[in-house]
Amino acid sequence: MYRLSDFYRLSAALTGYQEVELQGTGVGPVYCQTLSKWVRQDVIEALYAQAEQIGALDNDTNQARFYDQIWNSAKLGPVARNIIKMWYLSIWYQLPADWNALYGVDDFSADKPPVEDYVISSNAYIQGLVWNALGSHPMGAKQPGYGTWAFPGHTAKTHNLD
Amino acid sequence: MTHHHNDYDVVIVGAGIAGAIMAKQLGEQGKQVLILEAGTGTDGRFFDQGKEQGYESYMERFFTAMAKIPNAPYPNNPNAPQPLVTDIQKPPLDKPVSDHGYFVQYGPDPFASTYTRSEGGTTLHWLGTCLRMLPEDFELQSRFGRGRDWPISYQELQPWYEIAEQHIGVSANADVQNYHQIDNPSVQLPFEENYNYPMEQIPQSFLDQYLAKGLQGMQVNIDNQTYPIDVVATPQGRNGMPRGDYRPVGAVGNPDLGQRCAGNSNCVPICPIQAKYSALKTLEQAKQTGNVTIETQAVAYHLAVDDNTQNISKVHYKRYHSSDSAAFEDKAVTGKIVVLAAHAVENAKLLLASNVANSSDQVGRNLMDHPTMLTWGLMPCKIGAFRGPGSTSGIPSLRGGAFRADQAAFRIEIGNWGWSWPEGAPIATVPDLIDKHGLFGPALRHKIAEEYPRMFRFGFLVEQLPDPDNRVTIDDQYRDQLGNYRPVIHYKVTDYTRAGMAQAKEVSDAIFQRLGVEPFTQYKTSDPGYVQYQGKGYVYNGAGHLVGTHLMGKDPKDSVVNRDQRSWDHPNLYLVGCGNMPTIATSNPTLTMAALTFWAADNVLNALDQY
Repeated sequence: MYRLSDFYRLSAALTGYQEVELQGTGVGPVYCQTLSKWVRQDVIEALYAQAEQIGALDNDTNQARFYDQIWNSAKLGPVARNIIKMWYLSIWYQLPADWNALYGVDDFSADKPPVEDYVISSNAYIQGLVWNALGSHPMGAKQPGYGTWAFPGHTAKTHNLD
Repeated sequence: MTHHHNDYDVVIVGAGIAGAIMAKQLGEQGKQVLILEAGTGTDGRFFDQGKEQGYESYMERFFTAMAKIPNAPYPNNPNAPQPLVTDIQKPPLDKPVSDHGYFVQYGPDPFASTYTRSEGGTTLHWLGTCLRMLPEDFELQSRFGRGRDWPISYQELQPWYEIAEQHIGVSANADVQNYHQIDNPSVQLPFEENYNYPMEQIPQSFLDQYLAKGLQGMQVNIDNQTYPIDVVATPQGRNGMPRGDYRPVGAVGNPDLGQRCAGNSNCVPICPIQAKYSALKTLEQAKQTGNVTIETQAVAYHLAVDDNTQNISKVHYKRYHSSDSAAFEDKAVTGKIVVLAAHAVENAKLLLASNVANSSDQVGRNLMDHPTMLTWGLMPCKIGAFRGPGSTSGIPSLRGGAFRADQAAFRIEIGNWGWSWPEGAPIATVPDLIDKHGLFGPALRHKIAEEYPRMFRFGFLVEQLPDPDNRVTIDDQYRDQLGNYRPVIHYKVTDYTRAGMAQAKEVSDAIFQRLGVEPFTQYKTSDPGYVQYQGKGYVYNGAGHLVGTHLMGKDPKDSVVNRDQRSWDHPNLYLVGCGNMPTIATSNPTLTMAALTFWAADNVLNALDQY
């Protein structure tokens, strides 16, 4: 079982994108499933619970707690960072073997071998947040039209950064 | 497709751009042509976008590939293996060979370029740059005492350049491409009066415009001579706005709008809407003549010679059933004329394996590339990186000049895609922002928004001279799963080229300083392409420009083909492709190769009249 609403809420804090922007990519459910495929459910639950307890990261105290309890946690930090990479780059990076031994799903069998890093899907590649963040489009998709490269680079949307 | 028989007017080996042009030209004149292609076919996917197994499947492969290298969209095929940039290693010092991937590399320097073995050939992943060579490029030996002279001049090739440009559908303006605005007579090109390209120049990127403004009036000094630094739009085999009633072949989109480039930012390795020229377009035209048959999955491996006439009597090939299995049928076919258009490396391999056309001992020798050095940095302001075609302009002012007596000339390519080549940005660099710099949330997003649009890089395509020791050979030890030879490569980058790299770095430093670019260039000793010159380190990459290997000349003793591109040794054997080029100079070679192939097709037609 996975909780999509929790996943979006946490993802918004981690990526710097609003929940509605993440939902608009259409790949949230696939990412949520991908997380469950590689990380034990109790670890995911712990991550959601910890993030919920800390709350919004709009002040120094909460941020300090976030670094202490999630980012620098040997158990939760790697998961949080993988979620960000998944959203920005559409790639699931394999976690280190020693982490997997402790917190990874325990049935690395048949359909879940400890494979190499992989692009989650072609649509995920196209929806990668990094392209929007750098003020362009995914290479090979969402083409902007003839001659647009001659215009000054538009500034990535920063309205929610302040 | 015509009925398949065993006796053709012309048998062509290779369905890349050279083979396609040859087939189209001959087919249009009613000649019966068979093309043997070692790789798999595209099953008509070029003109059928909707097919599940169609062109879109290449895109799918590209999107989900971890390493988005030039061959990423095109499946590896063990029956027609191809070199990959991820295979390139520094040949180890303690062992004589690097046996990783398709090439067997003896060094001392690694050969870093690749090509595609599939119907359509390497035009499936080329950038589309269509520069002409300079008049002096054809006379390096007589003008500078370096390299070789061609048996033909720029003036002789010029009409064929025009035909090639019209056929490919090059977007450019002739009054810009003659370089008369550049204060360096060596680089100025004599275009035919009133000639123009079939399509308007592709708009220059915002970065190009920024550089052009910032570099106005800049000069550099080489050997007590000053040379200008000018930014000029690059001619491209990519659909711009058609001039007059010109219509490019077969791109998707609205024909009234010119079926034009939509800015997919993905020319290498694949243009999703095929706004960029590829040989598949020419192959389609060839097939439409009704006289051209293409047999894919057919690897030519031996040319038999008639002892009396010295003609090539048979082309032997292995026809495999699928790329999943090494099972094949051994077949042979005859043609009045045989044309090898299999690629510089593959042509040489086939000639060596057959022990033909090599009375000069020059087959496989003189392999050249453009060792391509990169420099990169952050612009002081956002220049809109990661948009548009890979490169829309360059700095051609140092493509020629008196300095070529001492050091390589070079062309400067302006890259529109930030640090994607040198650093793999953004995919390979964003993980560091998270893991090493601890960025997440708005700070991560802000960092990418502020820094990535400022990413900037130059590419320096440095000239290399023909060197008989830089060569492709074959060796019984090294074969692929069909039992065909793998290319064994000996390659080095000489001081002439290294001096050009050093000069290029100096020019780059001066430009960076003038524009306030924060330098990030790093040449790591661990990089396969790391070389030193006068105590300083540089790194080169492959350009995918494989030239030489069966070069043309005036004398049968030191060249493989004559000016007609016919083998000196075998009256009915023609060689086409970049392998014919005696020097590489500074232009990307595809346009010159295409022009030469149109010429060769004319020669083949004339020769067929004698049969």
